[in-house]
Amino acid sequence: MAPPFSPAVVRADRVDRVALCGRTKTGRAAGGQDLITEPDDVTEAMPVTSTTASAPGFAHLLGNPWLRFAARRLGRLLVSVWVLVTGAFLMIHLIPGDPVRAALGNTAPVELVEARREALGLNDPLWQQYADYLRHLVGGDFGTSMLSGLPVSEVIGDRLPATAELAVLAFALAVLASIPLGLAMAVLTRGGRRKPVELAFTSGSVLLAVVPEFLVAVGLVYVFSVELGWAPVAMRQGPSSYVLPVLALAVGPASILARIVRVETLAVLQAEYIRTARAKRLPDRRVYLRHALPNALTATITVGGLLLGGMVAGTVLAENVFAWPGLGSTIVGSILAKDYPVVQGVVLVYGLGVLLVNLVVDVALALLDPRSTIRES
Amino acid sequence: MSELTFEDVTVRYGSGRREMTAVDRVHLTVPSGAVVGLVGESGSGKSTLARAAVGLTPVAGGRILLDGRPLPRGGRRPLQMVFQDPYSSLDPRMTIGSSIAEAIPRGAVPGAAARRDEVARLLDLVDLPADRAGCHPAELSGGQRQRVALARALAGRPDVVIADEITSALDVSIQGTVLNLVRDLHRELRLSMLFITHDLAVVRYVSDYIAVMYLGRIVEYGPAESVLADPRHPYTGELLAAARRGGPQAADTVPASVADAEPADPHHPPTGCRFHPRCPVGPLVHPDRTVCRDTAPTGDGRPHRAACHFVSSAADPAAA
Amino acid sequence: MTSRARWAGVLRTPVGAAAAVLLGAVLLLAVLAPLLWGGRADEVDTAHILAPASAEHWAGTDNLGRDIFFRVLVATRTSVRLALLATAVGVAVGLLLGTLPLLLGPRLGRLVTAAVNIAVAFPGLLLALSFAVIFGAGASGAVPAIGLAIAPAFARLTQTLAASVAGRDFVAAARIAGVGRVRVLLRHVLPNIAEPLLVNATMAAGGSLLAFAGLSFLGLGVQAPDYDWGRLLGEGLNGIYLNPAAALVPGVAVVLAGLAFNLVGEAAAKAVGPRTATAGGRKRATDDARPTPTPTPTPTTAVPVRPQQSAQADALLIVEDLKVSFGPVTPVRGVGFTLGRGEAVGIVGESGSGKSLTALAVAQLIERPGRIEARRLELLGDDLLRTPPRARPRLLGTSLAMVFQDPMTSFNPVQRVGRQLAEVAEQHLGHRRGPALARAVDRLRAVRIPGAARRARQFPHEFSGGMRQRAMIGMGLMGEPKLIIADEPTTALDVTVQRQVLALLADVRAADDVAVLLISHDLGVVEQVCDRVLVMYAGRIVEDLPVARLRDGARHPYTRALLGAVPDLATDRDQPLVVIPGRPADPAAPTPGCAFAPRCPLADDHCKRADPALIEDGSGGRVACWHAEQRPEPAPAAATEGEGR
Repeated sequence: MAPPFSPAVVRADRVDRVALCGRTKTGRAAGGQDLITEPDDVTEAMPVTSTTASAPGFAHLLGNPWLRFAARRLGRLLVSVWVLVTGAFLMIHLIPGDPVRAALGNTAPVELVEARREALGLNDPLWQQYADYLRHLVGGDFGTSMLSGLPVSEVIGDRLPATAELAVLAFALAVLASIPLGLAMAVLTRGGRRKPVELAFTSGSVLLAVVPEFLVAVGLVYVFSVELGWAPVAMRQGPSSYVLPVLALAVGPASILARIVRVETLAVLQAEYIRTARAKRLPDRRVYLRHALPNALTATITVGGLLLGGMVAGTVLAENVFAWPGLGSTIVGSILAKDYPVVQGVVLVYGLGVLLVNLVVDVALALLDPRSTIRES
Repeated sequence: MSELTFEDVTVRYGSGRREMTAVDRVHLTVPSGAVVGLVGESGSGKSTLARAAVGLTPVAGGRILLDGRPLPRGGRRPLQMVFQDPYSSLDPRMTIGSSIAEAIPRGAVPGAAARRDEVARLLDLVDLPADRAGCHPAELSGGQRQRVALARALAGRPDVVIADEITSALDVSIQGTVLNLVRDLHRELRLSMLFITHDLAVVRYVSDYIAVMYLGRIVEYGPAESVLADPRHPYTGELLAAARRGGPQAADTVPASVADAEPADPHHPPTGCRFHPRCPVGPLVHPDRTVCRDTAPTGDGRPHRAACHFVSSAADPAAA
Repeated sequence: MTSRARWAGVLRTPVGAAAAVLLGAVLLLAVLAPLLWGGRADEVDTAHILAPASAEHWAGTDNLGRDIFFRVLVATRTSVRLALLATAVGVAVGLLLGTLPLLLGPRLGRLVTAAVNIAVAFPGLLLALSFAVIFGAGASGAVPAIGLAIAPAFARLTQTLAASVAGRDFVAAARIAGVGRVRVLLRHVLPNIAEPLLVNATMAAGGSLLAFAGLSFLGLGVQAPDYDWGRLLGEGLNGIYLNPAAALVPGVAVVLAGLAFNLVGEAAAKAVGPRTATAGGRKRATDDARPTPTPTPTPTTAVPVRPQQSAQADALLIVEDLKVSFGPVTPVRGVGFTLGRGEAVGIVGESGSGKSLTALAVAQLIERPGRIEARRLELLGDDLLRTPPRARPRLLGTSLAMVFQDPMTSFNPVQRVGRQLAEVAEQHLGHRRGPALARAVDRLRAVRIPGAARRARQFPHEFSGGMRQRAMIGMGLMGEPKLIIADEPTTALDVTVQRQVLALLADVRAADDVAVLLISHDLGVVEQVCDRVLVMYAGRIVEDLPVARLRDGARHPYTRALLGAVPDLATDRDQPLVVIPGRPADPAAPTPGCAFAPRCPLADDHCKRADPALIEDGSGGRVACWHAEQRPEPAPAAATEGEGR
């Protein structure tokens, strides 16, 4: 369900970038009358303020910018994983009342509840529970389901492949569809050309971006399964059953990404180095593909990177529409059944998935943009 | 009006491998009632020095004194600053009247009517009609905004005014009005002023003293006529040559190695004298002058001083 | 434009108006529907259980025979109310987290920022699910869950907006004036970020509406017997084969309501955006002209512009009656000049004078919607207006070199410098990759870049500003240029570096007899490089004279004023600088007479009525002034007030 949460995220990044632009250019007043500016003291007027991201101390030793980037990024990943694990641990402990009583119901005998509490270690002091939790996690032990008594790791191992397939396919589809579409739209509508095309594209993409996965899914089921009978309604059976879930998951993010690609490409086409490329009298194709696209992509990834992480969580809703036997249906069932160890484990897996996607996005950005590895982010 | 003194002031940005010493042990005095022009190119640290003086940037070492006493921490500063970009220095949501009124020290002018009168007086001082107080910045031109910024600085009853590149964002035909105003204000109010710019001709027009800054250090300081007529530091000479408008360049006489030398990176300043990698009287031209690479020169205590190991030869290369 | 006018403008756009109407309808329905149809929605009809859509029940009935269509209408209130509640929670928490860094100061503030950045990395749904675990399933748990899930993104937005405002000089000025942190936040920061925040809160409301539908659909939101759209949708999905309408109608309701919030936000963002989101943003390609949409009559300048007759034979570039227009605005109107082989000509003028546009027009680099018209525009004897487009790239790509103002932005940041140069040889000279790169290295060496081979493998950001500008000149030398057009090539450089670049331009010119067209606002720069100066004002050339005569032989009052307005090392320190009263002419509002007349000390009624032609003065110069023979009085000292009043 990326769309409902994404606009603010997208905008925040947008502003980030704009703020950065403003910082690198000296006082060039937008809409001002006096444009003759002597850029001066750029670096000193705007002191470097963001030092948090830099790895302290040992980073001195690393001369290679790539090594420094790797160290910094790894440090951030570790902090994020720690936050995630701690969050998952606290989640159970913040639940008001007794989670075991809640899970077993009011009719369960006191002895049973007490025994289960003891088995789960809930009677230990909090710090010891935390230490045990971390120790078990390192050993691959996610705990035991309160209802089925199965190890949570087994439940996850069972369900993860189905979800991963869905996420990876949707991820690939969204990226592969949005880039050419956005680029083509930017080229077609640059400088106010073809207003009707622009209007159709922007309104279409806004509409698709607003509709969340589960509604797209319902719509797809109605059209393709109920009315046309082309695809199976639900379950994971053979290649054709993948079509609708992947589409449902990818459509929203793809249309947002395509919009971002278009906007960024239009912005890049205004850049001075594009004018330089035109002054070299390069053919249009070369200007767009060699000069505009790589720059638009780096901007797109900066702005839209979080969207791809959001797709990981989006699987939850899509799976529930299509009765897909993945983690998404598991987590919802477990929340309703108050099977907290399972919930905890699945949240952890989803969180790790998101962090992994974010890592991939950052590495892609570092590879595409030669400045990003050196300019400490 | 008072005397502003920078004593051994150092300002650093960042930390770890990105640390950068923007201002390195600077001594500088703005005498009471005088205009000191501070010249230097981008990255020389001149704006940092200004921001440190008004408390926008913390000082890593040294002291900033006003009439021999340290500046008060927090609260109203007896220093006021006018910024480079007139489009960013006024709050677009506030009328210029309230922008100016905000800078009037609390208690100095009690009562709303008195404050209004004070705003009108300040606007009049910068040649703007008092009825403009209700305008928003968007309704004013760049030159007018810069005058409002000056009025706001004066509203703070400052002992010293710092002007940071106040004409460089303005169109050529408007720069003159602002420079004329600065000169008039100085004459009428005997303002002490630190006037920062990259343009030697502008500095010459308004300043009594000139300080030249290069990579965080003051390399030359002295009375304006003296510095311009007899530059002691080779860098000052280079700036002067660049500012001398009209006619072909005399630069053709300097060796190509000097002419094409790259400006140094402020993050990795050269050792010794920071100007040595591009100095026409340094080791680039005279290989025996290794002292420039090893030791940082210091200026002596004379009124017109230059931080160069070969001061005399700088003025007259032939004598070396 | 005031903020009220801008918000009203939103409603006048078709999208904005439609969205506002839609949103109004949704809100109205939320208030009225339960009052009007509450009874019918809860009416149990055991005779018609799970009935498909019919004339009686438009969307069919549910498992108790209740009318689904009315249930959807009535559910509007619950859905909207819960979404707004969740948004309020999210916005409040986000606003608090977002403004904390400003209040806490840099050290603690950084901690808050880092925490928010980590939280933002996790998708909202995941956060909402986790919080739903804590708060429990049900509406009262879902409201804080969704609220807290929105909060990080909103906090991040607030932080970046606030930081960008806090970095501006007016906040620094307030701090210097002794204004405290809380007061700075309330008086300076919040008013300046309120509009984009409001826009985003609107969109966030749309987002939480959809999110709530999602949670309810999963069974984690509203619990029976209450119902909202998500719950109705979830119930309807089970019977989608029997009665698709039961799933589709609540779905459509969710989409429409979500769209209403989002579109209102989008439309408002467009209205608010230009001032906040893109402030200080990208520089337009045409920095000399900022065409405004206000329709103004095209100036009817029936002034004959006489081409220069001299040296037509070996003319490299001939421009006659050049006009550049953007819609109704014509920032360049009737420019004509000739450039001989190896000649260096400077164009001088203030911003808005059309000098850069003239250069771009000559180089055929004006982009739509700009339009070029000219009686003659010839380079090396080729008619640029009529040359078949296919033949042009080679001619322009090899004989014409461009140098732009800002070396920071005129190289492609993600391509190595060497490749960017080599491209020209590959494209126009038919070189293969290797030889092209070799030529690039050679050209970098020619523009005196030390370690050229190593430098060619570097990216532009590894070059200093001066070196980049030299590399730019080197790029022009990849072909065999006959003309270098340099648009403010040294404006962005330090004075000492500026000298290096100008010296290099002079060397290149001397070595290969290349003509130079130098655009600058700085007469000093033009004097150093050029033989001849063209002074432009308001889109026209007002004077054309040899550089040697500039200081004492200028005849146009504007040229003379320009010379006096900028101090040089010989300016009398005891005299005030010459002041040009009034504002630079606005290309969007041309006057019938001489454009300089409103600022000219010599202007009379005739000047205000008739535009003087650019006529030759018999000694190699041209001037467009009715009073070219007259010298003005020495500038009066009181002229300072000119611009202000």
